[in-house]
Amino acid sequence: KIETNKTVEPPQPTAGMQALKSARFLQVRNEALNYPEGIKSPNPALNQGGKSKGRQYDKDFLLQFQEVFREKPSTDWELKLKETVGDSSDSARPQSAR
Amino acid sequence: SNGSADTVDDAPVTVFHDPDNFNVKHPLMNTWTLWFTKPPSGKGDHWNDLLKEVISFDSVEEFWGIYNNITSTSELALKSDYHLFKKGVRPEWEDSQNKHGGKWAFQFKDKKAINIDALWLHVMLAAIGETLEEDGDNEVMGVVVNVRKGFYRIGLWTRTIGKAGDGKNGAAKGRTPEQGREVLMRIGKKFKEALGLESSNEVVEFSGHTDSANAGSTRAKAKFTV
Repeated sequence: KIETNKTVEPPQPTAGMQALKSARFLQVRNEALNYPEGIKSPNPALNQGGKSKGRQYDKDFLLQFQEVFREKPSTDWELKLKETVGDSSDSARPQSAR
Repeated sequence: SNGSADTVDDAPVTVFHDPDNFNVKHPLMNTWTLWFTKPPSGKGDHWNDLLKEVISFDSVEEFWGIYNNITSTSELALKSDYHLFKKGVRPEWEDSQNKHGGKWAFQFKDKKAINIDALWLHVMLAAIGETLEEDGDNEVMGVVVNVRKGFYRIGLWTRTIGKAGDGKNGAAKGRTPEQGREVLMRIGKKFKEALGLESSNEVVEFSGHTDSANAGSTRAKAKFTV
C-alpha cells in the first residue's frame, strides 16, 4: 500500500499578519494617540502642511518599527521571493528571532 | 478600512502597544511597489524578463514586514537592482511618466568602506516618509540601488529635468526653468542628506535619462550637482 501523506496543512497566518490585514489606517493628524513610553511620535512639524494629510514621517520615527514588526507579508512569501528575487543567498540569511 | 470617521471610535492600538493585536497602522502618502532586477543568466535574456515586480504596500508596518524578510542589498549577486517606485510607474526610462525625467545618483566606489544596507534603507525611508520633496513638487518617481562589480550606486528618479513643462505629465506646469531647477536642487540636497553625505565633499550628480541613453552609458554629463 502506498501511504499518501496528506496531513500537511497550509501554513496559517500569524496573529501579526492578521492584525496588519484588519488594522485601519490611523488618522495621523486628527487622532490623539499616546505612544508607549519611549516611543517618539511622528514629527508634528512634518504633518502640518496643507496636502500632507499627516502622512509624512521622519527617519527616527520610522526606524522605531524595525524590531517591532517582523512578520512576513504573507504565508506564501518564501515562494514569492523565490519567483522574484530568487533564492541565491537568502536561505543563508540568518532569521532573526522574534 | 480607510480610516473613515465612523471607525475612529475604536481605541487605537498600535504595533508598539501590541504587535499581535494592533488595530491601527500608519498610512503612507503613496502606495509603493518594490521591483527587483535579476542578474542576467548569460543566455541572452531580455532585460524586461529580468525585471520582476515583488510587492506593493501602503503602510509603515507593511514596509518593515517586507524589509525584514527580504534579501539585504549586501547579499545580492552582482548586476542586481532593487527599485522602489510609486505604484503605476515602471522603473524604466521607457515608461511614459519617466520619459522626460532624470535622476540624482551617487556611486559608492569603495564598497567595503560603507554600509550599503543602512544607506539604501535610509533612502527608502526618506522616499516612503515623503521627506525628499515638498507638497506639490510631484517630482519623485522612485529610488534605486545597483549592485555592480566596482561600486554600489543609489539613484533617485525625478519626473522632469527641471525644464518648464507643458503640464502633460502632471508636473512642472507653470514652473519657470529657474523654478524647475530650484525644485530639483532642493530634492538633490535632501537626497544627499539621506545618503549621509551632506557634510562631505562628495558630489551627487543629476542627469537626464535621455542624455544617459544617448551617451550609451551612465557617464552622461551631469546637468546639476549638489
